[in-house]
Amino acid sequence: MALDEEALMWVEKYRPRNLSEIVGLRDIVDSLKAFLRNPRTMPHLLLAGIPGTGKTTAALCIARELYGQNWKTFTLELNASDERGIDTVRDRIKDFSRYSRAAFGDVPFALIILDESDQMTGPAQTALRRIMETSSRTCRFILICNQSSKIIEPIQSRCAIFRFSKLDKNAMVEHLKNIAQKEKLSLSEEAAERIAEYSEGDLRHAINALQTAAVYREGIIDEKTVLQVIGEASPKQVQLMINKALNGDFMEARKMMYDLIGTYGFSGSEIVRQMQRELIKVSYLSAEEKAELTNVVGEYDFRLTQGANPDIQLSALLAQFSKFRKMQGESN
Amino acid sequence: MKDDLWVEKYRPQKISEVIGNEEAKGSFVEWLKSKRRRKKAILLYGPPGVGKTALVNAASKEFGFRIIEMNASDTRTEKAINKIAGPATSFVALDTFSAESKGNLLFLDEVDGVFGNEDRGGIGAIIKIIEKSQVPVIMAANNLELQKLRPLKKVCELIRFQQVRIPLIIVMLRRICAKEHVDAELEALERIAENSRGDVRSAINDLQSLAENRRILRLQDTLMLTFRNKDIGMHETLKGVFSAKSFAEAISLLNRSSADYDELLLSIGDNLPLRYSDPVELGSAYDLISRADVFRGRIATENWHLLRYFYNFLAEAVTVAPQSYRPFELIMPPIKIITLFWTKSRRITMENVCAKIGTRCHVSRSKAKQHIVPYVKAILQKHKSSPIGSWLKLEPEEVDYLIRVNKF
Repeated sequence: MALDEEALMWVEKYRPRNLSEIVGLRDIVDSLKAFLRNPRTMPHLLLAGIPGTGKTTAALCIARELYGQNWKTFTLELNASDERGIDTVRDRIKDFSRYSRAAFGDVPFALIILDESDQMTGPAQTALRRIMETSSRTCRFILICNQSSKIIEPIQSRCAIFRFSKLDKNAMVEHLKNIAQKEKLSLSEEAAERIAEYSEGDLRHAINALQTAAVYREGIIDEKTVLQVIGEASPKQVQLMINKALNGDFMEARKMMYDLIGTYGFSGSEIVRQMQRELIKVSYLSAEEKAELTNVVGEYDFRLTQGANPDIQLSALLAQFSKFRKMQGESN
Repeated sequence: MKDDLWVEKYRPQKISEVIGNEEAKGSFVEWLKSKRRRKKAILLYGPPGVGKTALVNAASKEFGFRIIEMNASDTRTEKAINKIAGPATSFVALDTFSAESKGNLLFLDEVDGVFGNEDRGGIGAIIKIIEKSQVPVIMAANNLELQKLRPLKKVCELIRFQQVRIPLIIVMLRRICAKEHVDAELEALERIAENSRGDVRSAINDLQSLAENRRILRLQDTLMLTFRNKDIGMHETLKGVFSAKSFAEAISLLNRSSADYDELLLSIGDNLPLRYSDPVELGSAYDLISRADVFRGRIATENWHLLRYFYNFLAEAVTVAPQSYRPFELIMPPIKIITLFWTKSRRITMENVCAKIGTRCHVSRSKAKQHIVPYVKAILQKHKSSPIGSWLKLEPEEVDYLIRVNKF
């Protein structure tokens, strides 16, 4: 693959190439740079934090700074939620450390970036810990996760842990304006703020929204365009499904649920989590009603982990929505 | 559980309460009482529901044995058998010599269920246990002709049970009716008894499903009885359970049904909204189905003894509001299976697209699906020829697909 092929998705195009370019993470960047001054002493790293705060970017930057131009040769990028179990991970790591060792140069180890490592089960993590031990002479790990508490203690204790906090709104607005300038776009203050609010501290979302808006209207991005894009890109089906269920049209809601499972291949828990996000936005429910329904959603999220058929649990959850609204209606 | 099942409620407590099979009962009791048994093990065989298990339970209660039981729902690998049966049989309990207790007794119910790969080594292990055992070993089986049981015949006494005679069953049904305050016509009880073909358990189940919540049971009420040994398929099961008037009727039908339980769970779920038009009833019923599914998950591939809770929840779900039943056209086969079948190619396309985006943007397929696909779709919709498509290495068909697919 050509190394500097122009990236067309802006999230990639404007992904920082070295640590100094990363926005709003002064402390973390400084400590990471300290490690890089003498790579031989670099420990395993655990980068934790919500999505879109720069964890993967930081990891890729480290790889670039360690190995320079040829970083891809010495770096294995794995995604725990894509791999089919710890055995595949073990095999890939084994193969990789065997083939890449020959030409390390200054850096005496290969780098393994394991994204979404909190998606691994306890036993898989225990196996991973073994892998980290047996390959410690030839490999360094950068584990990336959303919640460090989901990583087992023995792994945590082998890593230097860095917590990435949510990007604050001002920093994000600044960053968006920066990109807009480079793309020769006029981006209004309100539009930038709207995007920042909508993306809730997730820079990946924000940049994607900005790029989509630029396609919608050439040259100028105002608040109206942004709202249009947000409407276009937000999960409409899930919203609609919740509305149908709440208003008693259970059959239609269930049909939409099957569409989500069938067409998109969403897992039960992915759908439940989206429902939870969308539920909070429903305008005609009171705060108490939302709290009560959230409770119900939580219960079914748990049952999903225990049960055998996600579609049964999701149908049952939708039926609870219909029941809840009917009973609210009767008591008023 | 809110409804006591009559088969449990009227389970024999004493040997004398086990009806029929007097000769077999006699030989069994004699074997159990004897101080010097010729063979350490005994095998009771015969059709279901004639009192084999009931006799073992009642007799050990009367003679003060403690039963260590394994039945077909436990996995009978050699290891599992040794784990439970080993310690129970390897020494004589200390209280053996006291007046009240005779110590342990190993009871392997449904030994003809010991076959197939899951039970590898099962029979061999049972024979080893019998040889080593210090305590009596009792086994029960329905079908003695099975090849695999042949080795057992050599080390056990065999006692044959037959179908219980109809008049005895009628007497028993009358006794239950008296206790439950049901005024039943003799002809109705005759029909139930005959229909059971000598299976006492099924006769009691039928009686309960027909007579519960009623004062009077007449002959015409029994006309809906289906023949016991007939296969009750999916369609018949669904029709029956949705129109069931009580929990007992539904559970007895479910217990007899030959429909696959996974498909049954899905189909009952599918049809609930047709059965209950009131959202409150529907919600309650679905909650129960969801619990049934949780138990299905817990059963996984081994905990089959949990199956009864699974069926209980199904039966409760279909009888949330028996009075609101109106006939309706059943949805079959399960929507899930049909949907997944018809949408498979679309799902695969989506997975491929997400994998490509994932590689390009350093995210997992799942993250790509949720967080990036919506934007890529929006961009391509506006600008079909946007170079982003080719940068992501999407094929033209994949671009077309993304543009056409419903938003989530």
